[in-house]
Amino acid sequence: MFRFFAIRVLRAVLTVALVVTFAFIVLRLSGDPARSIMGDDASPEAMAAFRREWDLDQPLWMQYLHYFAAIFQGEFGRSMRGGGPALDLVLGRIPATLMLTLPALLMKLAIGIPAGIYAALHRDSAIDRAVMVTAVAGYTVPSFVLGLVLVQVLAIWFAWLPTGGTGSLQHLILPIITLGVGGAAVLARFVRSAMLEVLGQPYIRTASAKGIPWAAVVRGHALPNAAIPTVTIVGFMVGNLIAGSVVVESVFSWPGVGNLLVVSVTARDLAVVQCILLLVAVAMVLSNLIVDFLYGFLDPRLAEANSSGGH
Amino acid sequence: MNMMEKVSETAAGTRKNTEHQPIPFTVIASLLWIVFVIGIALLADQIAPYRYTALDLPNRLASPFHPQHLLGTDELGRDILSRLIVSVRISVLVALAATLISACFGTTMGFAAAHFRGRVEQFILMLADFQAAMPFLILSLSVLAFFGNALPLFIGLMGLYGWERYARIARGLAIAASAQGYAGAARQLGASPMQVYLRHILPNISSTLIVSMTLTFPEIILMESSLSFLGLGVQPPMTSLGNMLGYGREYMTRAPWIMFAPAALIVTTTLSISLLGDWLRDRLDKGLQ
Amino acid sequence: MTASILDLHGISRSYSTRQGLFGKKVPVHAVDEVSLSLKEGQTLALVGESGSGKSTTGRIALGLERPNSGYVLFRGTELPAADTPAWRRMRAQMQMIYQDPLAALDRRLSIIDQVREPLDIHDIGSASKRNNKALAMLDAVGLNASHATSLPYQLSGGQRQRAVLARALIMQPALLVCDEPVSALDVSIQAQVVNVLMDLQKELRLSLLFISHDLKVVRQVSQRMAVMYLGRIVEFGETHLLLSSPTHPYTKALVSAVPVAGRRTRERIILKGEPPNPAARPTGCAFHPRCAIARPECVRVSPTFSTLPDGRSVACHAVHTNPPTKEVGS
Repeated sequence: MFRFFAIRVLRAVLTVALVVTFAFIVLRLSGDPARSIMGDDASPEAMAAFRREWDLDQPLWMQYLHYFAAIFQGEFGRSMRGGGPALDLVLGRIPATLMLTLPALLMKLAIGIPAGIYAALHRDSAIDRAVMVTAVAGYTVPSFVLGLVLVQVLAIWFAWLPTGGTGSLQHLILPIITLGVGGAAVLARFVRSAMLEVLGQPYIRTASAKGIPWAAVVRGHALPNAAIPTVTIVGFMVGNLIAGSVVVESVFSWPGVGNLLVVSVTARDLAVVQCILLLVAVAMVLSNLIVDFLYGFLDPRLAEANSSGGH
Repeated sequence: MNMMEKVSETAAGTRKNTEHQPIPFTVIASLLWIVFVIGIALLADQIAPYRYTALDLPNRLASPFHPQHLLGTDELGRDILSRLIVSVRISVLVALAATLISACFGTTMGFAAAHFRGRVEQFILMLADFQAAMPFLILSLSVLAFFGNALPLFIGLMGLYGWERYARIARGLAIAASAQGYAGAARQLGASPMQVYLRHILPNISSTLIVSMTLTFPEIILMESSLSFLGLGVQPPMTSLGNMLGYGREYMTRAPWIMFAPAALIVTTTLSISLLGDWLRDRLDKGLQ
Repeated sequence: MTASILDLHGISRSYSTRQGLFGKKVPVHAVDEVSLSLKEGQTLALVGESGSGKSTTGRIALGLERPNSGYVLFRGTELPAADTPAWRRMRAQMQMIYQDPLAALDRRLSIIDQVREPLDIHDIGSASKRNNKALAMLDAVGLNASHATSLPYQLSGGQRQRAVLARALIMQPALLVCDEPVSALDVSIQAQVVNVLMDLQKELRLSLLFISHDLKVVRQVSQRMAVMYLGRIVEFGETHLLLSSPTHPYTKALVSAVPVAGRRTRERIILKGEPPNPAARPTGCAFHPRCAIARPECVRVSPTFSTLPDGRSVACHAVHTNPPTKEVGS
């Protein structure tokens, strides 16, 4: 078991290293990094200091090592536009983004999982069809279309809610709904197919044939087994918390990480972009790691043992 | 609780006989819509009433059903219908090119992993894991920030979308085919790896790959329109569905129709392709059983 | 004295498998110190249960797998490494047919395309000549022009195996390895396919390495046979001698299981104990846990080959002291 987790942690570290390498290569390919990071209007002294600091006069592999060292000490360079450290700028935006993504995540889980389970258990019923149609629609309607339609209807025509910006709790409602609906649809679709897959397995029929009540079969056998693939997609949603609302923040002019990213990309503020990229990678890797650890608890053999002990 | 009924119900549900099932109406409608959209993309120059950049300054922000402009005009008096038709062409072109690039690249990587095994395979799988774990929007935004935006680069970037799925499918099926069966037999006849992969394995897994393509295609359209909506994809004066939407939103209160037409097109097109892809996948899954 | 076409010299092949997902690696000896030789134009049968390593031996004989030790000579020269151009050219001289013909055929290509494929691969003759040759080959195995345009799933099991045979023989190879070629077929079809195989063997002067667990078929096709148990050869000699008077207790058990027409049922030897598992090989003589005449030394010492006056080799401790009894076959 220890070996299993050790390998997972090692792979996680490797993945982060891969992203740092990716950032390094992209940075090197995109031109003079001093100019890219410092900006065109930096003074020659500042450029020279930067070159010394980042060892740009050294051979490429030394630069690579130093780049690694700097990244792991939290040195992401300075924002070209704001002038402050890129990391501080990004960290400052994270609370605003979490204000949207955390409630949206709860909404996805609260709607998506029960809807998917219900649809699977009542396959081909009217409610199943309704869930599926909504799920497919929620999955194919891009968030910016949904967001704009909500703004058009609820903010412009009925003027119940603000069109965008910050200030009150009311400003939160539309962005959260926009984020939550699409995710809930994806999740419902996923949970439904995971459940159907499990329900089609021979051991479910065996369990029923043994005389275990259907509700207990679902609780004891079907749900734990369907939870295993579901954990993966929820893990992805958790990893996406700090940067999963790029488009929605743009639609609602919400001052979060996503908005910062779009503005920085447009302005080619590379230090900030690189910082966000690496933070997202770390978040993703961490959530993947958590998913791997959770798999240990959701081990089907353990679930099986628990439930058959009850009967 | 009547459990046996439930069990037989689910069992019957998963074993529906598809041999003689008629094609569902939604699938036919989707197919017709896709043909229609492709027709528009192909004939864009012939059917567009105006050039998509032509200005009609006296008729700015004209509402739909205007005598000269069926779908109205935008802030510069450009004909929405004409812009829409050209946008469909660009969006379909970008998505199609990107899907093909992604499928070719991914399949090649999958075959390489299956053929070389060992370290090459580990490396390719690590890249695939990485690609699957990172949100594609963030990755592509970073690349666009560093390299700026040109249409070929943008298409190439979209061509990385979903390559890991083809790579995994191709690797898995190629390994299965080589371990025993026709690919192993062809190798034993003296066929070179190239002949084995192109003449035998590729045709045999093509149906699975095509289904994957129909499932990835709408996602690429959405990704392209998201980036264009953010102003970081297709750049003006060129136009695409997402790009029209992004500019249209500034006139949302005064001229919602600018935004409405491309939004409806994006939704209906992705919906059609998704429905078709789901149906194809179900058919294929049952065909394999 | 005919020259030998294929010689295996002390070949061993082991795989390492993990016990559990992250367990220790355990080597599994699939083939252990096997030496065989096949004479030009003859048939050598390789007999054993599943897991005895007979299929792996066949794959090594073709160069599809490399042995960990030992070497393979084809007409006196060592095989080139697998998947090199030289090895690919060798495929024209050595071919294989498989247990499951449907799996061995590409289900999207017509039969004629697949039978013609070796000619395409090795670039022999013009397109029309290739087609004619493929049709002639199909005719030789008893398939007609309408079968030629069919897809594999449209044919019966026996017809598919004939198609695989036609594909293997179209280059007129000198050696054909048959890995359980008829065991997946109905008994009535088996005889037909075996007859086609033997007719073509005479016509083309084929040498066959015939892998099977079916002694009835082995009796019909082979001049010599080798019995394998857990990766080792336990008895090797002329087929009629081994079948009429088996010496090794394992061969005796196999032979006793085959009913013989026109004779009252002999006493069957029922093997006791677990079926062989290559991952958990017993010490000493691998057969000792199931052997009726096992003695203490069998548990510790692996028996060496001793050659009997009739030319066969046997690896059994009991053979040195007790001369083989002839009662079974006489």
